[in-house]
Amino acid sequence: MPEWLLKDENYIPQSDKDAFITKSIHALLGLLSRIRAQSVHEDDGFRTNAVLKVAFTFMLVMLVSITKSFTFVIIIDVYLLVILSMMKGEEIFRVLKTSLFMSAFTFVILLPAAFLGNLFSGIMITSKVFTTVTAVNIISHSTRWNSITSALKRFFVPDIFILVTDITIKYIVMLGGFSLNMLYSLKLRSVGKNNKKYKSLSGIPGTMFIKSKEMAEDMYSAMECRGFTGEYRVVNRFRFTPADFIYIIINIGIAVIFLYMERV
Amino acid sequence: MIEIANVSYSYSGNTALKDINLHIKKGEAVSLLGANGSGKSTLLKLINGIISPDSGSYRFNNEDVTHKKLQDISFSKLFHQKIGFVFQNSDTQLFCADVYDEIAFGPRQMGINEDAVEKRVYDCLTLLDITDLKHRQPYHLSGGEKRKVAIACVLALNPEVLVIDEPMNGLDPRTQRWLVEFLVKLNGAGKTLITSTHNLELAQAISRRAVLFSEDHTLAADLPTDKLLTEIDILKRVNLVDEYYHRHDGNNHAHFHMHNFQL
Repeated sequence: MPEWLLKDENYIPQSDKDAFITKSIHALLGLLSRIRAQSVHEDDGFRTNAVLKVAFTFMLVMLVSITKSFTFVIIIDVYLLVILSMMKGEEIFRVLKTSLFMSAFTFVILLPAAFLGNLFSGIMITSKVFTTVTAVNIISHSTRWNSITSALKRFFVPDIFILVTDITIKYIVMLGGFSLNMLYSLKLRSVGKNNKKYKSLSGIPGTMFIKSKEMAEDMYSAMECRGFTGEYRVVNRFRFTPADFIYIIINIGIAVIFLYMERV
Repeated sequence: MIEIANVSYSYSGNTALKDINLHIKKGEAVSLLGANGSGKSTLLKLINGIISPDSGSYRFNNEDVTHKKLQDISFSKLFHQKIGFVFQNSDTQLFCADVYDEIAFGPRQMGINEDAVEKRVYDCLTLLDITDLKHRQPYHLSGGEKRKVAIACVLALNPEVLVIDEPMNGLDPRTQRWLVEFLVKLNGAGKTLITSTHNLELAQAISRRAVLFSEDHTLAADLPTDKLLTEIDILKRVNLVDEYYHRHDGNNHAHFHMHNFQL
């Protein structure tokens, strides 16, 4: 054993700024916990089918985009806020945070138009952004991603595209977990002043690239061994429940209100 | 040295540690035993300050280690110098261009002059028998070589405590034997050693004390390793021993089987 290893280290660390490692860890942790929470939670308590949710969310976004009626946008906002109020507090916070941020950003962009006399357009577009972002966020928070991707089958999206989307989500989690551990390791080994901290950090994407290449090759080999020939069949079973019926009625109601408002 | 009192921790509502109490003295060699998912790795992360407990307290060298304190850069750096962590997957630990730079990464940050850094690097290379690898790129090494480099990186910081998560994962039998001898030697040199494993043979070889996790994330036992290995009922309860039904000389029979251990 070398002598230095037998003695306790008499070490006083020099001050250094490495908040970027902690910030990167927090950002990655946030993303991963969001994806994990998405994949483990049950689909929403309303038990509505993902196919219907995707279809009617698309319809809602279209109607809100083309409407000229501010009242219609407000009605949809109220409807979405009622749905939102039935979700968990943490989810409500996340959905509203994104929606309000995007609306505020839109409003700032439109401020010059408001100053030139187009205040109504500014408010209308900002409201529409809030509504559409909230609608999309609600479906994203209340439906598992694999349910959404398999629902795409009903909209004639090619099976291979659905497979690639599923694999992409899976590998974001796997490679995200791997890079998180690399950042932890960098943090644990950063015990003093590092004058080349960005060089150290750049080693992480390099290793990640090699890792992802190896994982992709392994997965391709595994798929070939399991008989994959470039074709993939997604099975989407549609079960119609009373909740689906109520959901359809509500959305027909929304379409009727839209037509009525546009006629007025 | 390490005092963990009434610690609980959960990941997004899923309990990982429940009311854990553990005291580890300087120079001890302790194995954390338990089935997969029982909380061993989470406790190691907590000991290394990667996560902080939801409740309870963690003290290192008579000083509280809290989330707030770990935000203090000076405290955090000194703490991480004193406790070295070897991750279960060595790939995550290696990010430099070659093995020499990888081992020199820590000592260079500690303000040690380049000659002393070089001595430390060569000492570590010799100690781990990887001198030939010094100019190799870490991602082109074999699993066993990567594990040796990862240990060398941590040793170069001269930590007081060495924490290793599943040390034998993915290693061939010869490297496993080498690593057992090395860890025993390191502990003999005064380093505190904490390892997590479900390999009972390894626990007996490298530690005098074994802490057993049950599947409900509490501690089921904290005993001398030799004694724990005779407590079949406890080991059975925590799923480290199971009944193995097989055939010998034409006769079917069953007996208890410990993973990686000969009863």
